[in-house]
Amino acid sequence: MPLLPISRRSLLSGTAALLASTALPSSLWAQTPTKGGRLIVAADSEPRNLNPAMVASNGVFFVSSKVVEPLAEASFEGKDGLEPRLATSWEGSADGLTVTFKLREGVTWHDGKPFTSADVAFSALQVWKPLQNLGRVVFKDLEAVDTPDEHTAIFRFSKPTPFQLIRNALPPLTSVLPKHLYEVGEIDKNPANNAPVGTGPFKFAEYKPGEYYRLEKNTSYWGKDLPYLDEIVYRVLPDRAAAAGALEAEEIHLAAFSAVPLADLARISKVPGIAVVSRGYEGLTYQLVVEINHRRKELADLKVRQAIAHAIDKKFVVDTIFLGYATASTGPVPVNDKQFYTGDVPQYSFDVAKANALLDEAGYKRGADGNRFSLKLLPAPYFNETRQFGDYLRQALAAVGIDAQLVNNDAAAHQKAVYTDHAFDLAVAPPVFRGDPAISTTILVQSGIPDGVPFSNQGGYKNDGIDALIAKAAETIDPAARTELYREFQKKVEEDLPLINVAEWGFISVARTSVKNIANNPRWVVSNWADTWVEA
Amino acid sequence: MTRIRKLILRRLVGAVPVLAIVIVGGFFLLEAAPGDAVDAYVVSIGGDAKMIEELRQSWGLNQSALARLGFYLWSLVHLDLGQSVSFSRPVLDVVLERLPNTLLLMGSATALSFSLGSLLGLFAGSRPGNLRDRLLSIGSLALYAVPGFWLGLVLTVVFAVQLRWLPVSGMETIASGKQGLERALDIARHLVLPVASLGFIYLALYLRVMRAGMAEAWRMDFVLAARARGVPRRRIAIRHVARNALLPLVTMLGLQSAAMLGGSVVIESLFSVPGLGRLAQEAVSARDTPLLLGIILVSAVLVILINLVVDCLYAALDPRVGASEAAA
Amino acid sequence: MNAARFFRSPEAVAGMVILAALAAMALLAPALFPADPLSIAGPPLTQPFQDWAHPLGTDRLGRDVLAGLFHGARTSLAVGLAAAAAAIVIGSMVGTAAGFAGGWTDEVLMRITDAFQTVPAFLLALAFVSVVGPSLTTVVAAIALGAWTGPARIARAEILSLRERDFVAGARVVGMHPVEIALREVLPNALPPVLALSSVIVAGAVLIEASLSFLGLGDPNRVTWGGMIAEGRTVLRSAPFLSIIPGIALVLSVLGVYLTGEGIVEASAARRSLS
Repeated sequence: MPLLPISRRSLLSGTAALLASTALPSSLWAQTPTKGGRLIVAADSEPRNLNPAMVASNGVFFVSSKVVEPLAEASFEGKDGLEPRLATSWEGSADGLTVTFKLREGVTWHDGKPFTSADVAFSALQVWKPLQNLGRVVFKDLEAVDTPDEHTAIFRFSKPTPFQLIRNALPPLTSVLPKHLYEVGEIDKNPANNAPVGTGPFKFAEYKPGEYYRLEKNTSYWGKDLPYLDEIVYRVLPDRAAAAGALEAEEIHLAAFSAVPLADLARISKVPGIAVVSRGYEGLTYQLVVEINHRRKELADLKVRQAIAHAIDKKFVVDTIFLGYATASTGPVPVNDKQFYTGDVPQYSFDVAKANALLDEAGYKRGADGNRFSLKLLPAPYFNETRQFGDYLRQALAAVGIDAQLVNNDAAAHQKAVYTDHAFDLAVAPPVFRGDPAISTTILVQSGIPDGVPFSNQGGYKNDGIDALIAKAAETIDPAARTELYREFQKKVEEDLPLINVAEWGFISVARTSVKNIANNPRWVVSNWADTWVEA
Repeated sequence: MTRIRKLILRRLVGAVPVLAIVIVGGFFLLEAAPGDAVDAYVVSIGGDAKMIEELRQSWGLNQSALARLGFYLWSLVHLDLGQSVSFSRPVLDVVLERLPNTLLLMGSATALSFSLGSLLGLFAGSRPGNLRDRLLSIGSLALYAVPGFWLGLVLTVVFAVQLRWLPVSGMETIASGKQGLERALDIARHLVLPVASLGFIYLALYLRVMRAGMAEAWRMDFVLAARARGVPRRRIAIRHVARNALLPLVTMLGLQSAAMLGGSVVIESLFSVPGLGRLAQEAVSARDTPLLLGIILVSAVLVILINLVVDCLYAALDPRVGASEAAA
Repeated sequence: MNAARFFRSPEAVAGMVILAALAAMALLAPALFPADPLSIAGPPLTQPFQDWAHPLGTDRLGRDVLAGLFHGARTSLAVGLAAAAAAIVIGSMVGTAAGFAGGWTDEVLMRITDAFQTVPAFLLALAFVSVVGPSLTTVVAAIALGAWTGPARIARAEILSLRERDFVAGARVVGMHPVEIALREVLPNALPPVLALSSVIVAGAVLIEASLSFLGLGDPNRVTWGGMIAEGRTVLRSAPFLSIIPGIALVLSVLGVYLTGEGIVEASAARRSLS
């Protein structure tokens, strides 16, 4: 093929690499990065604890991932979707009892002390396993970490633990802390929790509460010639409208996590010098879920749940509420997940007539006022979209004769009402998919979870078949077999509808076009930004 | 001056039960709220039952409400405002950090609305019922009817985003290293929009009170008598009529010190000013009882002090009031 | 009050007309727009005056703005009037009692008033609604809770300065009962400055309701103008009509209340100066 001098395969991988390194269409041409400069980004919250090894959450990572690094980071093109950070290689044993990490050499902490396997062992055993919100699950059977030399760490588990799960958990769960600063005193009272010390491309410099965080370039970073930026400043802008205005007035360069409301994107994308970027969140997919309280006799009936699923127009939700920046869900694993997703599950199309017929069949006839029964609907308050979906769902249910009364609560009251007191019939939740069903999605279906655990099954649903599947997958070592179990899980969930998955979405960044190399990995916003630069 | 001294003493003694009512009321209000500080926190991070239990333990939330109130009051007696759970820092530090910003914002906005409002009120009330009065009254009300957040948004869009005359938000240029006069000017530039959004809204109140007081005074016997004697109208307006309006005006100033703080909740979050109003809102949503009580306490002390000054002024302006109060 | 004088003032008449129009909107809403005003009626973000099925356009989800405006008149007016009425009645009662009784009654009532006053009204409303949960009655109670202290203080201040005046002393000499003096002689004279505040309190109530809705603390099952503004806020720059239309309605109703209140105060002041 003379017209196509390069093979399709190399063209594809070449395109992928190009897209990965440059996110904006205007910067498709290779450019030499400008060194230096200050990047100012909007931050909408101020976490009480900036220690990413203790609190694995996006709000914490947003600032601290530049300072404290994990063993590996997510990647568009790397093997198994990973690229090395503090570990250069990782390997699991066939019996699922050990994982061996080779660690990067020549790395120093920001205070000049060398980084060694002792730091990894300390972080894993003293922080990730006992203290971290997610590590408690993944590392629950971690027994010991052997350190045969300064650059090797061998994790030993008391029970077989799927290597696939450990691998998927590496980017969010394995931020490494300096042992020499944390070994004395209580870990959760350490001053470094609010002024983190790590190995990352930026050092924590300054925090003015209510105003800003400032990070400075780490001149002895292990990455060659990195980082490009001299400084990153996080400006605290709690008001949603403030971010758009500040971007337009060139007071900030970047607003991540959809700080600019979706409804304003069409307009702001036309402002010269500003670009809307939807990449860089592939590893942080949020799911729009209708939680169901199975203690309500009507909702314990599968036909009623199916009717509700048929009453929801997912296309309307995606097009109107999310303005196209979302995908309709088919089940509990997001469509963009390459490892576990299957579309081979029962589907519930938008069909009001069928929904009405199912409700009639279930024995809930319309009364004189046209209503079959009343429900209490609690939309989660955290996102505009969850509340808007609540408004929509009320109307969608009215169309099939179900009268839903909306209850608006603030975050703490919602958490208490839904996850502790179970004072709801339907709730709208935005759980996050963390790359592996074992540390996300399954918790919304599994039975036996104590009261009070957020984003978990508090609807009183119990299905022994599904519980058995989840338990089996948790100890299945072979990745293919494990994946198969989770596919079976998706099918079972869609058959029995313990909850209804409506849509899934990633956040949107809005940035000045002068900012380069944004969105070049699936967790870009919460990665280390070593190769990000600002055009002079 | 013993009259005024007695008044001050009375007010300070009176402040103790007021503060007690506010603290206990605030405590139980937040106590009655669904969800506690741990609920508010785990929403942002997730976590399992054991972690939640440990957090409740270490934040002291597993004790009874009365025990916590007792403990709080006990440390308050020792002038300790306790530890903020959402910031994990001493409440006093957090509050004192934000207080100057709020004082600056409130002070400037009050000065703006008081001076401009009473001046316009004087114009309006000097000839009640004429065209100028009517236009001023309606104009000020139109301003008062504009929601504060909306005025702030519109001003931002026009002056900061479109014209770029003023910064969009914040208290000063961040991490700029500016010092002295340069820094003061920088802060002043940042304050223009929030002060305007807050001050213009409350302007109508002073105008209304000034005008109402004056309109009423024009019909009083001593004014009618002065007019009958042929004293020039302008002189009556300033000497007798405006003076009559001063009392309610001063009362309004005292009243507004608290209202301004409330108005600043929305304005502070709109303009990202790190002040007490925004902090209070965050404390409510984080169920951070010690922090909220600390903010309420500090702002209550502030309001009480302002009202004390107002009462002294009041007594000085109207001898009868102080006399009857001091006699009571 | 003097009705003839009231109707001679063009402002007062304009105020009455606005209020009457609002009342008509509120009463006619269920007849003219029988469907749930929160239901999705058409394509989202239809501009005003484009589609005559939705004369004022539709919002982000396709809800009819005109229907929202009519139904919103019901809630916004109800919230504003109920909250202000409660605040003024409670406030002037407390203020009169405190000012006229003096002594310990005054002391206790004023300490309670002080306590409420030291907490910013909006903050109190915000905390109260967060705690009890947003609904129409909660919002009314929350606003009244923070608004009654103003009338109380003004009423007390007026009464303190009035009770020393000649006509009160005269009533005492004649041997009138103190309660009778308070109700018949002092209160009517103390009321005008309190009522002068009433328009401001209604305005405040409607605006606090709007601010609460703006912060997501409105009743989600009802349309309110505040809620409509908050909804439209995310598209303020691209579809400003969504915040401007209910905003104008808000400003107009506040203006109507104010002008009417003003007219009444002026007319009753006229009666007083004649007597």
